[in-house]
Amino acid sequence: MNCYIPENLTEALEIRKKTHAVPMAGGTDLMVQAKKGIGINPAFKTPIMIISYLSELKGIKVEDDGTLVIGSLATSSEIADDERVFYPIRKAASLMGAVSLRNTATIGGNIANASPKGDLPQPLILLDAELVLSSIDRERMIKVDDFIIGAKKTVLQDDEIIKEVRIKPVKATHYFYHKIGTRKANAISKLSLSILADVEDGILKDFRASSGASGDKVKRSRDAEMILIGKPISEIASHIDEFTSAWDRILSPHAMPQYRRESTRRMLSDFLIKLSEGAEPGIYE
Amino acid sequence: MAATHIDDKIRRSDALSKARGEAKYVSDYFFEGMLHAQMLRSTEARADIVSINLPVLPDGYYFISAKDIPEQGVNSLHMIGDDWRCFADGDVRYVGETIGLFVGPSPAVVKSLVDNTRVEYRPKESCITIDDAIAVKGGSLLDGKDDDIMCQLYCEKGHDMEEVFKDADMVLTETFETGFQEHVHLETNGAIVTEEGDSYVIYISCQCPFYVRKSVAALLALPLEKVIIRQTTTGGAFGGKEHFPDVLAGPLLVAESRIHKPIKMIFDREEDMEFSVKRHPSKITYKSAIKDGKLIGTLGDIYYNCGAYLSASFVVLQRGVFHANGVYDIPNTRLNGYGMATNTFPSDAFRGFGAPQTLFAIEMHMTHIARKLGIDPADFKKSMFLKKGGETVTNGHVVEEVMLNEMFDNIAKESDYYRKSREFGYGTGRGIGVSFYNHGGAFTGNGEQAIIKAHARLKKTGNKVTIETGSTEMGQGFQTILRKIAASTLAIPMEDVDYPNPDTSVVPDSGPTAASRSTMIVGRIIERCAQEMKQRWGEGDFSVEKEYEHPDGFPWDQSTFRGDAYLGYGWGAAIVEVEIDKRTNEVQVKGIWTSHEIGKAIDELIVHGQINGGVIQSLGYASMEKMENRNGRFKQTSMSDYVIPTSMDFPAQYYHIQENPYPYGPYGAKGMGELVFNGADAAYCDALERAIGKDIFKIPLPPEDIEEALRNA
Repeated sequence: MNCYIPENLTEALEIRKKTHAVPMAGGTDLMVQAKKGIGINPAFKTPIMIISYLSELKGIKVEDDGTLVIGSLATSSEIADDERVFYPIRKAASLMGAVSLRNTATIGGNIANASPKGDLPQPLILLDAELVLSSIDRERMIKVDDFIIGAKKTVLQDDEIIKEVRIKPVKATHYFYHKIGTRKANAISKLSLSILADVEDGILKDFRASSGASGDKVKRSRDAEMILIGKPISEIASHIDEFTSAWDRILSPHAMPQYRRESTRRMLSDFLIKLSEGAEPGIYE
Repeated sequence: MAATHIDDKIRRSDALSKARGEAKYVSDYFFEGMLHAQMLRSTEARADIVSINLPVLPDGYYFISAKDIPEQGVNSLHMIGDDWRCFADGDVRYVGETIGLFVGPSPAVVKSLVDNTRVEYRPKESCITIDDAIAVKGGSLLDGKDDDIMCQLYCEKGHDMEEVFKDADMVLTETFETGFQEHVHLETNGAIVTEEGDSYVIYISCQCPFYVRKSVAALLALPLEKVIIRQTTTGGAFGGKEHFPDVLAGPLLVAESRIHKPIKMIFDREEDMEFSVKRHPSKITYKSAIKDGKLIGTLGDIYYNCGAYLSASFVVLQRGVFHANGVYDIPNTRLNGYGMATNTFPSDAFRGFGAPQTLFAIEMHMTHIARKLGIDPADFKKSMFLKKGGETVTNGHVVEEVMLNEMFDNIAKESDYYRKSREFGYGTGRGIGVSFYNHGGAFTGNGEQAIIKAHARLKKTGNKVTIETGSTEMGQGFQTILRKIAASTLAIPMEDVDYPNPDTSVVPDSGPTAASRSTMIVGRIIERCAQEMKQRWGEGDFSVEKEYEHPDGFPWDQSTFRGDAYLGYGWGAAIVEVEIDKRTNEVQVKGIWTSHEIGKAIDELIVHGQINGGVIQSLGYASMEKMENRNGRFKQTSMSDYVIPTSMDFPAQYYHIQENPYPYGPYGAKGMGELVFNGADAAYCDALERAIGKDIFKIPLPPEDIEEALRNA
């Protein structure tokens, strides 16, 4: 097995194009998937390229227009600790694994791994986050929601590397984030849900939701969201059943379907009832 | 340095070396020319082996199997029975059964040999659950029998239960189920075999070095002393290293007899989870007679899933039956225990050893009866407590003062139990629950006298003293406890007392490190050795060895299971408060209050650690530790899908230790390591029932199972 350690992004993209070596950053997914047992080297089926050193992919910054740019090598700890990062992403990052994992795992890796239970894609999709995919020949932008096409499946080309995550400023008055883990810390997600609402002059200007661990990929439905968008707060209560039923139809959980569907429905209903009762702007869990 | 006093709060003697990473575990040992071994395991739950197609073995690589056991040897790991085979031969009876051992210099090559071996099976219908076993699915698994009852017993007292039911105001029948539980000891199983002179030496992570020796020597028809067991520093066990290390040591010993080079085998975490013993799942039905607000009789049918081989199951089942009426004085009873053979990995010892299952069931049953009677469960339970002199289910008697009332008063006050019990009500999302429990110390009946006859020894060299016993430190703190007992009796500093890990060629057999017997039994022998040594201190260098002395007045008949089943009990009371998120069924534990009567705490810090750990382990058992078996294969095989609690999951605990010195233990101490596991689960479920407003009959209860309980109710 070949392992490459490029010193800069250009070199990395050249190697990627030539060898299709799989980029490895924190290794918290790939090393686990490749492990063979005690005293035995991990066995990778493809060449590997360790990209942890590439400074071009590091850091978190905010551009002049307010766009948040998270380098693909930003770790969960860095994201969780950065107040400029939108709340649901920060919260999701803070609940990933244990401290040692959060210090190592990267946002690029979490997206590329494309696990339906992955922590970061869910809030990223809520916020319509986009990825910049670089190759030696070109650069392209794609929404995270379009990048991940199924469980462990993405449209990443074999010459591309995820360079950064871009999130345009979002107007929101209310945020909701809830992860149900197998336990309270160091846990894999059983179910997660983010909601964003923007209330202005008594009108629900924007409403979005995003469901993790509820199917082969993160679930969102603009059609369902449109049921609520533009409605006066006073009318929300009468649309809760319609909305939650529409939302339920997009979910496709394999295991514990009843629990995942009912909990999602109850969390959505509960939040919408609060909203319809004039809940203060802020963060809800 | 000052002499150690028994009431000193001291730092554990193994704390620094473990914290610094200096302690040497079995995987840290290396020997010149050492080879590595991996098991070839059955992938079928029940099948005949048609053929084993080995890959080409490179030079220096070996495949060891039943054929390598010499003619005079037996293909059996002697535990309590002899049924568990060292190597499957002709057929397999559970997924993970050892078929053979690949051995060679490179772990990677050894693994590839395992991966490239094709075993052809003729599968048979397997029997996985207790219900399967009751239905004798696939035909009996037991030679010469037409059912799957591997072991059974009953206990009864009072009147015939049919009469009692006729006399009752109310009869309530309920069935409870508990699941598998994995030990998740921090250190996985591992062993190294080598030779010294004409003896075999096994370095092994284990609880009971003498069990290992006894289990494997007959494979090669060796006298016991030709197999030397050296316990390596053991990173946790919980019962998972009581008999199970034999399953590693046996094949390694056979391999050594062929290969004559040091051979090491260390399980990785997935192996250790998927292919190791578990706590017995249970299905327990009580039919109870209630009259005038009292429980006057129980008829219990207690089924434990034993897996494919007996291992310690009969003794586990006995303990389950003996604890099946809980801490209550129920005048009439008939308790039937059945250990069922199935095609799952054999179930074996796990902290509590059969008692937690029945204690959970009787506690929930008592709670349900109280609710039906309209009485607070705490008050109903209190009205039924056993007292000193009260008759046990084995027609024995409680010998100590039962202090459950005082213990409950303490935690009821601390937790504000009665106010919360009234205010939370039923189905409000909040709940407070209570449980009471006990645990019989040491081996059942006269086992300590009739079976074990433990020895322990103190050796004096100058002003230093060495403890020589077969008892092991496995994280529970025993090396500290025993040093403290010896030092404080001798009135010398603990630093002058050494206690190396046991080597069976050096130390006497003190019996297994199990059954909450070490402090109570071995601690007492060491105390007696120290008392004599103190009197003879001026005699120069010498040793004092003592044998266990059985106290008078504990009659026991092992053939009928009648008499005093235990020499004394530890007692416990727990209160747990919860709040449930009605959207997601996530349970938040708001408070944990316990009181334990253990005679005397030899070391309060260690006892506190045991309470914290045992209670959390019990709450994990009730709430999140779900292990399912599908077609004989465990579904949860890693620490991310089989989860145990972290320190974030439960709040800080209030704990109270009730002193009640026990006359036959060192400084008045009784056993406590298992007691602290035995009851928090039921207190949690009582609280949860009150919060959700539905009765609970099954654990574990992760949020998705609470959903089901709510839906089905």
